[in-house]
Amino acid sequence: MGEGSLDGMLGFDRRISRRELLRRAGRGSIYMGVMAFLAACGVEAQRREGGGQLQPLPPKAGELVMANWPLYIDKDGPVSPTVESFEKENDVEMQYDVVINDNEEFFGTIRAPLSAGQASGYDIIVVTDWLIDKMNRFGYLERIHHEELPNFEANVSDKFRDPWFDPNNEHSIPWAAGITGIGYDISLTGRELDSIFDLFDTEFAGRVGMFAEMRDTFNFALLANGADPTQATIEEVQAAQQLLLEHRGNFRGFYGNDYADQLATGSLAVSMAWSGDIFALQLDNPNLRFFIPKEGANRWSDNMAIPVGAEHPTDAHLFMNHVYDPRIATNITEWVWYESPVQGVQEMIQEDIAEGGPRYLQLLADSELVFPTEETNAQTHPYKRLEEEEEQAWNDLFQEVIQA
Amino acid sequence: MRRRRVRVAYWLLIPGLVWLILFYVIPTVSMLSISLQEGSPERGFEFTWNLGIYPEVLARNSVQLLRSGLYGLIVTIATMLIAYPLAYTIAFRGGRWKNVLLFMVILPFFVSFIIRTLEWKFLLGDEGIVLGTLKDWGVLGPGYYLLGRPIAVLGGLIYNFLPFMALPLYVALEKIDRSLLDAANDLYSSRASAFWRVTFRLSLPGVFAGSLLTFIPAVGDFINAEFLGGPDTTMIGNVIQLEYLTNNDYPEAAALSFVLMAGILLAVTLYARILGTEELTG
Amino acid sequence: MSADVAVAERPIEARAAPPPKVARRRRGWFLPVYTGVVVAYLFLPIGVMILFGFNDLQGPRGFNVTWEGFTLRHYSNVFDFPDLTSALKNSLLIAAASTIVATALGTMIALALTRHRFRGRGGTNMFIFLPMATPEVVLGASLLSLFVSMSVARGFVTILIAHIMFNISYVVVTVKARTQGFNAEWEEAAKDLGATPWTAFWTVTFPLISPGILAAAVLAFALSVDDYVITLFNAGSTLTFPLWVAGASRFGVPPEVNVMGTILFFAGVILAVASVLFQRGRYRDAPQEIGPPVAGTGFAG
Repeated sequence: MGEGSLDGMLGFDRRISRRELLRRAGRGSIYMGVMAFLAACGVEAQRREGGGQLQPLPPKAGELVMANWPLYIDKDGPVSPTVESFEKENDVEMQYDVVINDNEEFFGTIRAPLSAGQASGYDIIVVTDWLIDKMNRFGYLERIHHEELPNFEANVSDKFRDPWFDPNNEHSIPWAAGITGIGYDISLTGRELDSIFDLFDTEFAGRVGMFAEMRDTFNFALLANGADPTQATIEEVQAAQQLLLEHRGNFRGFYGNDYADQLATGSLAVSMAWSGDIFALQLDNPNLRFFIPKEGANRWSDNMAIPVGAEHPTDAHLFMNHVYDPRIATNITEWVWYESPVQGVQEMIQEDIAEGGPRYLQLLADSELVFPTEETNAQTHPYKRLEEEEEQAWNDLFQEVIQA
Repeated sequence: MRRRRVRVAYWLLIPGLVWLILFYVIPTVSMLSISLQEGSPERGFEFTWNLGIYPEVLARNSVQLLRSGLYGLIVTIATMLIAYPLAYTIAFRGGRWKNVLLFMVILPFFVSFIIRTLEWKFLLGDEGIVLGTLKDWGVLGPGYYLLGRPIAVLGGLIYNFLPFMALPLYVALEKIDRSLLDAANDLYSSRASAFWRVTFRLSLPGVFAGSLLTFIPAVGDFINAEFLGGPDTTMIGNVIQLEYLTNNDYPEAAALSFVLMAGILLAVTLYARILGTEELTG
Repeated sequence: MSADVAVAERPIEARAAPPPKVARRRRGWFLPVYTGVVVAYLFLPIGVMILFGFNDLQGPRGFNVTWEGFTLRHYSNVFDFPDLTSALKNSLLIAAASTIVATALGTMIALALTRHRFRGRGGTNMFIFLPMATPEVVLGASLLSLFVSMSVARGFVTILIAHIMFNISYVVVTVKARTQGFNAEWEEAAKDLGATPWTAFWTVTFPLISPGILAAAVLAFALSVDDYVITLFNAGSTLTFPLWVAGASRFGVPPEVNVMGTILFFAGVILAVASVLFQRGRYRDAPQEIGPPVAGTGFAG
């Protein structure tokens, strides 16, 4: 080599012998290993204590961060009128993030900070009822100050008060509700359908879609077997699993949100479906139909909740109150096409029709899916409240169905 | 002299390795620890040296593991066959357009993979542009479909990993000295023989690198199976997603991850041995 | 050197006659056509994406699954989507920063692995593959746990850290393909001629390996812009482009996503053209070929 050396240039004149370097590196890595080991060892139960008590509200911060599902709020081009009206009326800057695509996936991303006592980054999250129940078990949701929500108290439909998953709405209030039923394309099936067993009909082999959501799919199988989903025993669930395994060859796949465009483009002829989605697709493709099977269907609600440690809870309450105003709720429903928990929405839509709104508003106002009658309600079932052990058992059984 | 050179090596290594130790090794060690724990999120996890979980996990998920390995192998071979002539053409025939062509190979990958995969879903739809037209012409029966079948998943994987194979191949091919080929020609070698004995041999580092960059991520992929696949195309990546996010069975998810990593390392070591080694692993 | 002289003075007639022109031309069309086909295949979904950015959707929500007519209106309002613009900015900044750092760190490692012999070289070689082999969901989640236990707020910085981490391996593997079998003689020659090691490295070695480094950088950039799962876990409430796209693409890909994808794509095209022009300028004065006596170190400009 030449006169200078590279390490001479890097300023390395003090000799570190290789042995010394290795020794130090060795000690260092042992130390880090121990740290990591300790950090990982004996992960404690992830329950948090904070969720039980009512925390005092800080003064309004002027900021709000909310996470929601896609297509779940009114849109005027790039912005949401509801968000804009809220921001203007309350002088709050709001970040509305459409980052929830799947309950479990979203929960998986906020769990670690919540269990360690840190903020999740969101002030309001919108998750499905069973997840509210689960998060409550861990103490991950703040108690709601109902005195800050006069609109909720005044306008919420009785149907949504004091639900099975959150007694007295202590930790959540509904955002929207819907029904899981069956959707199909009549031009592809050639006839009208009316039963869960139509999903198993080999006439539609390879063109049937089921949900990857365990509760929805197991409920359907339970109903097909004549069992009551809200009281299902483990034996009944095992029988439901057997039913699904038997007919597995008929299914094209187990879908999440993406069943809808498969149905719309003709890859699927029949599929489990959510009420609002089909309503939306029908506007483009009148061949699509939705029905509640004669054996029964599922009803669920998506709910607003405040994760523990949220930084702007006061502003969160302001927004929650804002959307329970019937005018705002109507605006949202006219865009989202799922059932609203707010009373008076149906009447307001009629008014909007009278004032010359778009055509589909009439369909909306008449829709039994968006405004279910008592009769429709009687045909639908909520999910069973599952404790951890039962949930694990059900999940294990379901895994054998969807992942072979 | 020799010691100084070795010191240089250490100083080159340290920044990157420190980063990896901090942000890869530590999380991974904690993952290892979790794999040996038992319990549940609500009850808490306890470290119990549960080594039994590894054979358990292997037995329970052997189908998905084998399937992922098989898919990885198919994808690697297919991308190699497709990308080699491509890289060769760009390197040897590209001339002034070399860099342009190379960028054209990479450019589709500046578009988010979600968009690319969704567009493939659109293209492969039962009544879509491809299948619909073929059905109209009577080439395919009315009930034929691709989405949900292994071929769709493989197609997606091959598409997404093509540049991972093409880039290293190009890099290795481009550095080959043309005069060596002239020399082979002078020695009356046929074109085919010159190719195999000179060009291909010299491009082996690129073949090796490309295979690794393709096989390793492909085996653990879950996105293509999720978007384009069906119930019988479940890959190990999908299983790990489910175990972690849905079942909240962190020990199982962690153990499966290590089984996957061990399997990959094994395959890579074997491959390096077969290809002739030391040179290739540096 | 004597070898060079030998090459230069060898009489031309001694070389084998090249194959007849006709034969060469006939053999010549297959590869270029093949390349064209493959590139077309690569661009197929991109074409669909570009096309559907112009789709004139009629319905109130408009599912972008069937063609309904041509319009430019989506281009006029694409930057009005507040989240989209900031998500895109975040993605590009993170990609640029992580590319620079990861390429630097990874190249250094690759150089160490191929130019020097040291204890632990084999082990390091194997170790480098591990991040690529680790399933993203577990890696992302464990990294999140690490950040949580260090009480680091999740956001831009944590995403950046994660991206640099997984990019290093890809850079190392790519650069190694170029530095493999690296012969230090050229650098030695430069030093013999009086260059300092630093100068020797930058004027001799670096240009030789720069295609590998560039390729690695491009790969790292693409990987960073595209990352979904690891980012999902470590982003807090910061949005990146893939996170935004995943949220917006429930019923097919909405037009604004197509438009933004198209814009990104053409930005890349412009970058490519610019870099070609830059390269041409730089190497215009460099010799096209040096006849080296040693295999594998050819300078092919």
